[in-house]
Amino acid sequence: MAATADLAFEDLDDDEREAVRTLLFRLADDEYVTAERYTEWQVRAPTLESDLALANIAQDELGHARLWYDLLEDFGSEERELVWERPPEAWHHATLAELPYEEGGWADAVLRSYLYDVAEDLRLAAVEGSTYTRLRDRVETVENEEDYHLEHAQNWLERLVDADAGHDRVQAALDRLFPYALTLFAPADPEVEARIDELGLRDRTLSELRRDWLDRVVPYLESLGLDVPDPGDTDLPSAVGRDGEHTDHWNDLHEEFTRTYRDLDRQGTVRIMPDPDDT
Amino acid sequence: MIWEVFRQEAAGDYHTHCGNVHAPDREMAKQFAVIQHGRRKPAHSLWVVPQDEVAEVDEDEADFGGSTDKSYRWAMTYNDVEPAAREVADSEAEQAEAGADRGDS
Repeated sequence: MAATADLAFEDLDDDEREAVRTLLFRLADDEYVTAERYTEWQVRAPTLESDLALANIAQDELGHARLWYDLLEDFGSEERELVWERPPEAWHHATLAELPYEEGGWADAVLRSYLYDVAEDLRLAAVEGSTYTRLRDRVETVENEEDYHLEHAQNWLERLVDADAGHDRVQAALDRLFPYALTLFAPADPEVEARIDELGLRDRTLSELRRDWLDRVVPYLESLGLDVPDPGDTDLPSAVGRDGEHTDHWNDLHEEFTRTYRDLDRQGTVRIMPDPDDT
Repeated sequence: MIWEVFRQEAAGDYHTHCGNVHAPDREMAKQFAVIQHGRRKPAHSLWVVPQDEVAEVDEDEADFGGSTDKSYRWAMTYNDVEPAAREVADSEAEQAEAGADRGDS
């Protein structure tokens, strides 16, 4: 199928809809959960400036998640079902996003942001020409806000590795996070992933994206004097997230961010922002 | 290290001091300035300046405005001319406001 095709929800059969939904959940959940973790740094980051920077990045990622969840609403779900009432096992983010930071683990936050933002950059580029028009139309808006996320992470990494203590912390974070970072490229369901590619919803397969990511991340991290684990020798963690299998940390986090909704016995969400389609 | 930040809202405007950021070097200072001062308010350009590089003269050192009565320089001197030119009226209002701020009766 030509990349210029214009697919809309109405044109798709059930299998094709499943492919679009899978792709959107992957994008939305990664952004949402990554942001949820970032916000833990508020009032705890090393300096006021780093606190505000990460809070701003979290805010961007939540805004991007909202754009993708809004597209999922076309499939008949409401926001409350997509976020506040969705059971933890129905979330599809990579487990990289849900891991808690080690206490005081600023190097972890910065490195994780770098590993994630490179993947984000590549996969957004892969949907720039998506056949699903509603998705394609929103990519540029998101991309425009992503550049400084990467710049921020790299600025920090380059400075952290400058001193021995910082270098060791980044290295420890890398050893811990690397297998989880590879879950970003794990398939939700290989059959559905193949359908995503066949439909031209994205123009790079997951394994191509993984290779592109390694081609960028490995030389950069090595240039900082870090030892990058051999991806060929690295087993994926037992929970990859994409298929709904998560670490125990995810249950805790999910419990925490849905608590207020449940405590207040909410039946729906209050919208303070106009619908993305109306702006 | 502290960097003072000046924001310009639109091309041609003055850069106005809007706060400061802590950063180890110029590159990070610029990035923090953008995040803290360029996201919520209109910004066309930011200047980021090491605080040490800002030269200051304060009222203990300098006799700002001199020590003799300079009120003859004010447009109020021309109060008797009727009708006042628009520029004079504007300037007069400005001076009156400045006078009120100083506590002049």
